[in-house]
Amino acid sequence: MKRWLLVAMAALLPFTAFALTGEEVMKKSQAAFLYPGKDFKARVVMKLIARDGQERVREMTMLRKNMGEAGGEQKYFMYFFQPADVKDMTFMTYKYPAKDDDRWLFIPAINMVKRIAAQDKRSSFVGSDFTYEDVSGRDIEDDGHAIEREEKLAGTDCFVVKSTPRAADADFGHKLTWVGKESFLPLKEEQYDRKGVPYKLFTAEETRQVKGFPTVVRRVMKNLQTGHRTEVSYLRADYDLGIEDSLFSERFLRQAPRKWVD
Amino acid sequence: MTKFSLVEFSIRRPRWVLALVGLLTLLFLTQFPKIRIDTNPKHMLPETSDVRMWNDEVDKTFALYEDTIVVGVANDRGVLNRDTLGRIARITEAIVALRGVASRDVNSFTTITNVTAGDGMLKVGPLMPVAPKSDVEVDALGKALFDNPLFIDRIIAKDGRTTAIYVPLEQGANGAEIADRIRAIVAKEEGPERYYIAGDPVARDTFGAEMFKLMAIFSPIAGGIMFAAIQFMFRNLALSAAMMGVSMVAIMWSMGLLIGLGFPVHIMSSMAPVFLMAIATDSIHIFNEFYFRYRKHGDKLAAIRATMAAVSRPVRFTALATAAGFAVLLFMNIIPVKVFGGLIAFGTVVLRLLSFSFIPAVLTFLREDKLVGKAEDASLDRTARLLGGLGAFGAKRPALVVAVIMALLAISIWGTTRIHVNNNLVAWFKDGSEIRVADTAMNQALGGTSLGYVVVDAGKAEFMKRPEAMRWIEGLQRQIEALPVVGKTFSVVDYVKRINRVLHDDEARFDVVPETADTIGQYLFLFSMSAKPADLDNVIDPGFAKANLWVQMKTWDADAMRQVHAAVQSYHKANPLPVTAKPAGIAYFNLVWNEEVLGDLVFGFSLALVVVFVILALDFRSFKWALVAYVPLLFTILFIYGVVGFAGKDFDMPLSVMSTLSLGMAVDFAIHFVSRFRQRRAEVSRGETPLASLAWTAARPGKGIVRNAVLFAAAFSVMMAAPLTPYVAVGAFIVSMMLISALLTLLLLPALVMLFRRWLLDEPRGDTQ
Repeated sequence: MKRWLLVAMAALLPFTAFALTGEEVMKKSQAAFLYPGKDFKARVVMKLIARDGQERVREMTMLRKNMGEAGGEQKYFMYFFQPADVKDMTFMTYKYPAKDDDRWLFIPAINMVKRIAAQDKRSSFVGSDFTYEDVSGRDIEDDGHAIEREEKLAGTDCFVVKSTPRAADADFGHKLTWVGKESFLPLKEEQYDRKGVPYKLFTAEETRQVKGFPTVVRRVMKNLQTGHRTEVSYLRADYDLGIEDSLFSERFLRQAPRKWVD
Repeated sequence: MTKFSLVEFSIRRPRWVLALVGLLTLLFLTQFPKIRIDTNPKHMLPETSDVRMWNDEVDKTFALYEDTIVVGVANDRGVLNRDTLGRIARITEAIVALRGVASRDVNSFTTITNVTAGDGMLKVGPLMPVAPKSDVEVDALGKALFDNPLFIDRIIAKDGRTTAIYVPLEQGANGAEIADRIRAIVAKEEGPERYYIAGDPVARDTFGAEMFKLMAIFSPIAGGIMFAAIQFMFRNLALSAAMMGVSMVAIMWSMGLLIGLGFPVHIMSSMAPVFLMAIATDSIHIFNEFYFRYRKHGDKLAAIRATMAAVSRPVRFTALATAAGFAVLLFMNIIPVKVFGGLIAFGTVVLRLLSFSFIPAVLTFLREDKLVGKAEDASLDRTARLLGGLGAFGAKRPALVVAVIMALLAISIWGTTRIHVNNNLVAWFKDGSEIRVADTAMNQALGGTSLGYVVVDAGKAEFMKRPEAMRWIEGLQRQIEALPVVGKTFSVVDYVKRINRVLHDDEARFDVVPETADTIGQYLFLFSMSAKPADLDNVIDPGFAKANLWVQMKTWDADAMRQVHAAVQSYHKANPLPVTAKPAGIAYFNLVWNEEVLGDLVFGFSLALVVVFVILALDFRSFKWALVAYVPLLFTILFIYGVVGFAGKDFDMPLSVMSTLSLGMAVDFAIHFVSRFRQRRAEVSRGETPLASLAWTAARPGKGIVRNAVLFAAAFSVMMAAPLTPYVAVGAFIVSMMLISALLTLLLLPALVMLFRRWLLDEPRGDTQ
C-alpha cells in the first residue's frame, strides 16, 4: 500500500522536477533532430521562395550515417536532381564535432571531384535560407544555453531555450528555440542578428513518426529581413536502412549508386 | 474696379486690415511644425515615372540596395600591412554593428567573398576572415587581392594604397546620420591612414542638412540686407518695416500653405523665402511714387490715392507677369519645380493683394511731420537726374546705343552655342568641401563612386547560362570599360570565369567562359553553395533570364551614363543577340532626370515667352509696345546665357529653372517704364517732346526701377556666399539679371522708342488725347 502510494506520488510529480539544464535540453534536442537511427534517407524538396513569390526548386536525395553516438561524427551524401543542369552533381560532408567539416563536390560537366573548404559555416546551403549549420547542426559547446521559460506552442509543451554564441563567428547574435518536451524536436526557432533585430524564423510545420522516430517532414526557414523563405519537405523519409560506409567515397561521388539515390 | 475699393477700404479701416492680415498669418504659422524636408533627388520625378518604376524593379530583381556609402581607407605606404589591416577589420566590425546598415552585405576585406584554390581545395569565403598576424599572411593576402580581377579597382587600388568598404543602407536609413557614426568610428583609430566617406546618400543627406542651414541663416540675412537698403533709401523706419512686413507675410502664407498641403520642402522650395522677399520689392514703386506725390499734394490721404491710381496698373501687371512666369512651372514634369512654381505664384498673388491693402493701410500711419522734407522731387534728386541723363542719352543717340548692344548680343549668341547641359550632384558642393575631396580621392584611386547598371534581359529562363550570352556580356564589359569615365565593371561572367580558372589549378588559359551551359550552371550552383546569397543575386536573377552588369563611373556627370548607354547600343548593334540591354541605377536616374530638365526647360521657356508677351500685349493693349518692352528682357537673358556658355559652367537644373522664371521677373522693369511713359504722354499731352518724356520716365519711375533692382540684387547677393553651388549660381544669375535688365530698360528702351517713334507714338492711344 505504501509502495503503491509512492509510485502514484512519483507519477504526479511534474516533469520539470527532474530539472534539466538548457544545455541538456539542447543535447537531447540535437539527438532527436539530427541523430535518430543509425542512418537516414530522404528525398528532399526545397522551395526557395522570393518575397514576390518567385520560386526556385532544389531537389536531392540526402543520406546520413552516424559514425558514433549523438553529437559525434556523421557522414552526409547528397545527390542533386534539380535544378536540371546540376543533375548528377553530388555533395559529401564528413561532419566532426569541434572541428571544420570536410566537404567534397562532384562537378559532372567537367567530371571533377573537388574538396571544398568549409571555412564559413554561416554560408547558405545551396542558396537557401538555411545555412550549413541550420542543416547539420552546431556544436552544443559553441553556445551558452539557458531555459528562458516553459510554454505551450500550439498545444505542445515546450522548453524555450536561449542560445548565445560564445564566439562572434555565428550567423546570429542569439536565438530562442522552442523544444517539445516530449519529442525534444525543435518546433520553432527565432534567430536574432547581432544588433538584436529578428533575423530568421524556423518553424517545424509537420512532424510524423517514422519507424518510431518523431521526424520533422516539413519545415520552413524565413528570412524576416528580406522576406525570402525556404520550404523543405522530406519525402519517403526512412531510418536504419543499412547504408554502407563505402558509399561515402570519391568513387561513389562520381557514380552515385542507383540503389541509394533514386 | 475692386482694386480701388480695396485701397479705399484699407485707407479708411487700416487697423482692421492689419488685424486681419495678422490673424491670417497666425493661421498659416500653425502649419509650420508639420514641416518635412526631402532631399532625395529620386523624388524629383513622380513615383509612377518610368525610370523610377524601372529602377525599383531592378532593385527588387537583383536584391540591390538603393543607397551605398563608400568608405575609403588610404595609406601612402600601402594598406597591406598588419596595422592598417587590423584597423580595417575593426572598423568593418563596428560598421556592421550600426543600425540602418545592411550588415550582411557590407563588402570589405573581412567580408567580401573570394574564390581561390590551394592544396587541391576550393575555397569560397571571406577574403580576410581575421586580420593577418604575420607578414607572411599579409603577403598571401596581397597575392589573393591582386590575383583576383574582381577586386582590383573595387576594393584595392592598383597601387595598393587605397581600399574601400562598401556599406549598403537599409530602406529608409538616414545616410548623413550613418556617415557621422562612421566618422566617429574611424576617428577612434590612430595611425597614418586617411579616411574618405563618399557616395550618393552622403552627398544627398549632407545637401539636405545644408539646405536647412541656408533657409535658417540666409533668409534672415537677405531680409536684413534689404531692410538696411530700404532704410537707406527712404530713411523711414515705419516704411521699411512695412516693406519687410509685406514680404514676411507673403513668405509665411506661402510656406504655411505648402507645409499645410503636405508637400515636403525640397531644394527649390527652400529658395522660396528669398524669392518672395525679392519679388516683394516691387512695392518699392508704390513708396517711390508716394514720396514724389506727397511732395506735390502735401495731403497724405490724397497722395496715397493718387499714388495707387498711378502705379496700380503696372504693379498689377508686373505681379501678373511674375505670377505667370512661375505658374508655367506647373506644367513641368519635375515635381519640386512644379511645387515651387505654384508656391511662388501664390506668394506673388498674396504680395499683390497686400500691395493694395496692407501697404496703403500702413501708409496712413506715417507721421506727416516725419515725411516733410523727405519727400522727393525728381528735378532736385541727384540719382534721378543721373538716370534722367541716362535715358536722355539713349533717346538722343539711339543708333549708337542700339549698335553697341547688338554687337554685344552677337557675341552672347555665340557664347550660348557653347552651353553644356549637365547635372552633377557632387558638383553641387564646393571644391574644398569634404564631400568633393572624398569623392575626388576615391575616384582617383578606385573604379568610381558613381554606380550604374546595365540590365541584360533575354525574357527566357536559363538563357544567361548559355556560353554565347556570357561571352556577349563579357564583350560588352570590355566595350564599356574602354570609356574613360568608366573605372570598373563586373558581372556574373566574372564569377564564372574566376571559378573556371580556380577549378583548373589557377591556370590563366581557363580564365574564360566555359564551353557548355551545364558547366556554367554547375559553377554557379557551386558558387551559391558557399558565397553570400547577395553575391549571385546582385548579378543574376533567380531564373537566369536577366543579368545585371555593374558599372562604376569616375564622375557623377549625367553625361557619363549617356556615354555608357551609347556604348551599349553600338555594341548591341554590332553584336546582335536576342536580348534587351537597358541602363538602370542612380546614375541612369540622374541621366533621365537631366534630360527631363532639358525638355522641360525648352517647353517652359517657350511657354513663358508666349505668356509674358500676351501679358505685355494685354497690359499695353498694343502689339507694338509689347514687342518693344520685350526687347530688354530677351537681351538680358541672352547676355547671361552667353556668359554661362563662355564661363564653361554646366547648365544644370537650378539654372534652367531660373531662366524660365526669370522671364516673369525681368520683364517687370519694362512694364513699369512703358506704362509710366505712356501715362506721362497722356497726362502732359502735347506739352512735352517725346525725348523729355523719356528723360522724365527714366528719372522718376526709373528711380523706382533702380531701387527695385538694387534691392532685388541685394537680397540675392547673399546667396552667392552659400556653401552650395546651385545657390551661388542662382544668386549670381538673379543679381546680374536684375542689374542688366534695369540698365537695358533705362538705356535701350529710350533708344528704341526714339528709333521707332513714328511707328509707336502715332497710334491712336498715344499722345493724342
